[in-house]
Amino acid sequence: MNLTTVAVKNIARNRGRTLLTIVGVTVAILAFVLLRTLLWSWTAAIEQSASDRIGVRHKVTFIMPLPKKYVDEIRQIPGVKAAAYANWFGAKDPKDEGRDFFATMAVEPEELLTVYDEFLVKPAEVEAWKQNRRGALVGDMLAKKKGWKIGDKVVLSGTIFPGEWQFEISGIYTAKRATVDRNSFYFQWKYLNESLPPARQDKVGWVSARIGDAGRSAEICRAIDAKFDDRDVQTLCMSEKAMQASFMGMMSAILKAIDIVSIVILLIMMLVLGNTIAMGVRERTTEYGTLRAIGFVPRHIVLFVVGESLFTSALGGAIGVAVAYPIVNLGIGRYLEENWGQFFAIFRVQPPIALAAFGLALLLGGLAAIIPAYGTTRLNTVAALRRIG
Amino acid sequence: MIPINYNVRSLFVRKTTTIATAIGIGLVVFVLASALMLSAGITKTLVTAGRADQAIVLRKGSDTELASSIDTPATSLILAAPGVKRDERGNAIGAGEVVIVLAMDKLGGEAGQVSNVQVRGIPESSLKLRSDAHVIAGRPPTPGTDEVMVGKSIAGRFRGMDLGQHFDMKKNRPVNVVGVFEAGGSSFESEVWADIDTVRSAFGRPGLASSVTVRLESPSKFEVFRATMEGDKQLGLEAMREATYYEKQSSDMSSLIRGLGTAISVFFSFGAIIGAVITMLAAVSQRQREIGTLRALGFSRRSILLSFLLESSVLALMGGVLGIVGALFMSFAKISMMNFATWQEVTFCFEPNPVLLAIALAAGCGMGVIGGFLPAIRAASVEPVKAIRG
Repeated sequence: MNLTTVAVKNIARNRGRTLLTIVGVTVAILAFVLLRTLLWSWTAAIEQSASDRIGVRHKVTFIMPLPKKYVDEIRQIPGVKAAAYANWFGAKDPKDEGRDFFATMAVEPEELLTVYDEFLVKPAEVEAWKQNRRGALVGDMLAKKKGWKIGDKVVLSGTIFPGEWQFEISGIYTAKRATVDRNSFYFQWKYLNESLPPARQDKVGWVSARIGDAGRSAEICRAIDAKFDDRDVQTLCMSEKAMQASFMGMMSAILKAIDIVSIVILLIMMLVLGNTIAMGVRERTTEYGTLRAIGFVPRHIVLFVVGESLFTSALGGAIGVAVAYPIVNLGIGRYLEENWGQFFAIFRVQPPIALAAFGLALLLGGLAAIIPAYGTTRLNTVAALRRIG
Repeated sequence: MIPINYNVRSLFVRKTTTIATAIGIGLVVFVLASALMLSAGITKTLVTAGRADQAIVLRKGSDTELASSIDTPATSLILAAPGVKRDERGNAIGAGEVVIVLAMDKLGGEAGQVSNVQVRGIPESSLKLRSDAHVIAGRPPTPGTDEVMVGKSIAGRFRGMDLGQHFDMKKNRPVNVVGVFEAGGSSFESEVWADIDTVRSAFGRPGLASSVTVRLESPSKFEVFRATMEGDKQLGLEAMREATYYEKQSSDMSSLIRGLGTAISVFFSFGAIIGAVITMLAAVSQRQREIGTLRALGFSRRSILLSFLLESSVLALMGGVLGIVGALFMSFAKISMMNFATWQEVTFCFEPNPVLLAIALAAGCGMGVIGGFLPAIRAASVEPVKAIRG
């Protein structure tokens, strides 16, 4: 019988308690992976946004449009390869009173698909959309949720542009990258423009442009803003990444709270684990006294204690990560992607997060054992043997 | 009944274990209480902006002031509608206001952060509607000028937005901040109030208002007022009680925070309950002999069961109190985030409220009772003779 056998027997001695502790670690690690994946998913859009795309909007406020002629002037700027424009439409589906939010934008078909080349649409559907003044291109997730098929007539009510608007579904898009929102509704800009009173015509909400060289985005943006600086309406040009980051910045308070909370669960786990180990040590004081009496040194006993803690946390951590995969990838994540796609275009466990969770479980297992293990080194052999209980 | 003192003392004998378990439960109670307090704070900030005896009129179909626009003739019609209160000189108490969102540079934090600040262009008559609002530093702006006042929640948090400073609403049209105002903790404190004509001309909206707010003769006059507004389909207007309008704006955000907070707490409570189970199981197994003695002295199984349930509840209660105290410290913190309904950044507080704190504390005790149940049953089933023999 060697030391390892003794250690393993120790773990199996109070099976109920060990099992409970492992469940505790499992739950904590699962919660940690969930919260971290939530944070990752929320910010994934920034990380994966195209770096060779820039956006131009009204300098002072996003609610004011730009003159449409700016689009052509932006196309003239050296370095700009293509430019598309869009107006935020803000539609509600009268059937559900707008409870189910989805983005609605008026765009120019050809340019949209050049600038956003991550959209996948069948060429025939693109052609049909171009030909149909009331045609609309919708994301496959939105189409599935609403039960829309190609050729369906759809009526939406406008919140910014009042009235009931008639559309016909011409195409359904999917995307090359998982972080692209597949819950949006795009329709022809000219349909919107023609329906407006003259004073509101020929205005665009924002311009997105593709540039040849991602490294030059700052320089091109400066050139664009300089061009319109002495006009009535000035512009604010940013790379897509910067734009996403500034949007996320407005949510930073919530993100920070989730960040803190994900650490809190690890603390709770460490307390539970440390408590279990401390109890085991207390119950075995007499045995440790015996071991010391027959010649084992404190180091051996510390090994028992730390080993037990590490074993429990490693097992709990591994199970936690293992169950997190199906729960997130097949359950929660799938639900969020399908129903909350505009916030969580992709919600999957990332290997680095899983790895970090397991690593932290081990680390905290080690930390939790420090105090109980230190206690054993100060054990007085005689006192330990005399102890009753 | 076994005296509760016995349980309390037993908890103190095993100090470290007791503290570790109580802190675990305390952390869960802290998270839950903080989330509930923040959700209450959001509701309070947004809802106190509205009064029961006032109504807001928007263009039909637009959910927020930002998306709505109403022209001057319609504004006059609204102010002349039945049910609207009049002052001693016979003028309607009401005002058409313009609402705009400005991108402003945030101070502090990361460089280059831009956030949305709501600017409300108001005529003089607006101040009669918002009697809660009063200047706390500087002076009120002179009507008809480029002077503005800023709410106290945003004063000093954005570039140019503090007393004596100025910022651009349009290029080369700086507006001067001459006052800072307070408005009873409502979301108005996250707004800039400027002269309506300054805002209209800076943003090219001559003669337009975003919304019209009126004081009603009494809250019960609302139905009459609404019938007049929505009766004329040509106008395309929609009237809401001001309180309802602001409640609608807050509901999404406060339920998001409440939902997220509760979901996380439920998850976390599993961990804390397991901690309580482990602690209580160990307590029971160490005290076999004591329990046996108690049984031999004549205490029933039921009183042993109750006693151990009580012990774990006391343990949880200690944790719960710790958590609540921690959460109360959060009421000094302010959190600033974007309201999705209005695209505007608003500052919120954690609103301590006895009911919410009681809910969080009860949740903590619940963890103690659930966690203590199995160990208590085990304690109750101890056979006295066997246990005393050891």
